Amino acid sequence: MIHLITGGSGSGKSEYAENMLCRYQKEEGEQLIYIATMFPYGEETKRKIRRHQRMRRGKGFETIECYTGLSDLVDTLKEYDSVSVLIECISNLAANELYMEEGAKERTAEEILTGTEAVCRIARNVVIVTNEVCSEGFSCSTEMIHYKQVMGEINCCLAKRADRVTEVVYGIAVEVKKDR
Amino acid sequence: MIIGGSFQGKLEYAKKLYPEILWADGRDCPYDEVRTCGGIFHLEAYIRRIMKEEEDYGRKYLELLEELGSINPEIVVISDEIGYGLVPPDPFERRYRETAGRICTRLASGAEQVDRVVCGIAVTIKNKL
Repeated sequence: MIHLITGGSGSGKSEYAENMLCRYQKEEGEQLIYIATMFPYGEETKRKIRRHQRMRRGKGFETIECYTGLSDLVDTLKEYDSVSVLIECISNLAANELYMEEGAKERTAEEILTGTEAVCRIARNVVIVTNEVCSEGFSCSTEMIHYKQVMGEINCCLAKRADRVTEVVYGIAVEVKKDR
Repeated sequence: MIIGGSFQGKLEYAKKLYPEILWADGRDCPYDEVRTCGGIFHLEAYIRRIMKEEEDYGRKYLELLEELGSINPEIVVISDEIGYGLVPPDPFERRYRETAGRICTRLASGAEQVDRVVCGIAVTIKNKL
């Protein structure tokens, strides 16, 4: 199962995503992996990271940090017999690939899509959290427009690949693409 | 609870659905009105206002909103859906949209019905009735 979860900020996407992956995990001995992508730049991001850590505590996740180069995780994931993976989240990953020194820069969309595809091939279940960043109209710089464009492209491709797409609206799951 | 983008006809829809109730305007109503009013529109503006208040005073009302479902269980809440854009560069704006999101998520979880209005058309996304 590949399940893409989207929504606005503060909408409860992450909690929903964690619970979904736990629900998909059926086999005994199947390891739940949490791919954390938020780079701890300052106090605000550290606080956010701590909030997420608290939220997923006790749910059985093993956390792997990955700021750029998702495809490089394949070897680590191969060490497990059976894994289900939560990728949290594409909007951070995209910003990292675009702006971090070791990022993929203009190859960002390609890098993320190759990376998620590689994870999807190894894992039994993949839940991917992304973000709606394109529906607010305040004027923004060329750089910000470019970021939105990259996010839009990645989201469309991921949704095509996914078996199921859900938008979380204030904690309520609105199905966008239903699993057949 | 009725949510949706700005200028989508949320209030008009709500007034048709609940013609009898007295409304508070979140943009300028006294803060305590949420305890007793039949409905509030522009909850997002109410949240912004209390976040601009002196910290302890504002927090009191943020906590009140968290418990609104038990304080005023019949209330109809209308809010602009925000947080569908890029992360704002301004720290207050970041905190505001995060807080508004968390409060609306909390209210939605306690609500019997949640309708989302797009272009004047309401879609019920939650119905416990």
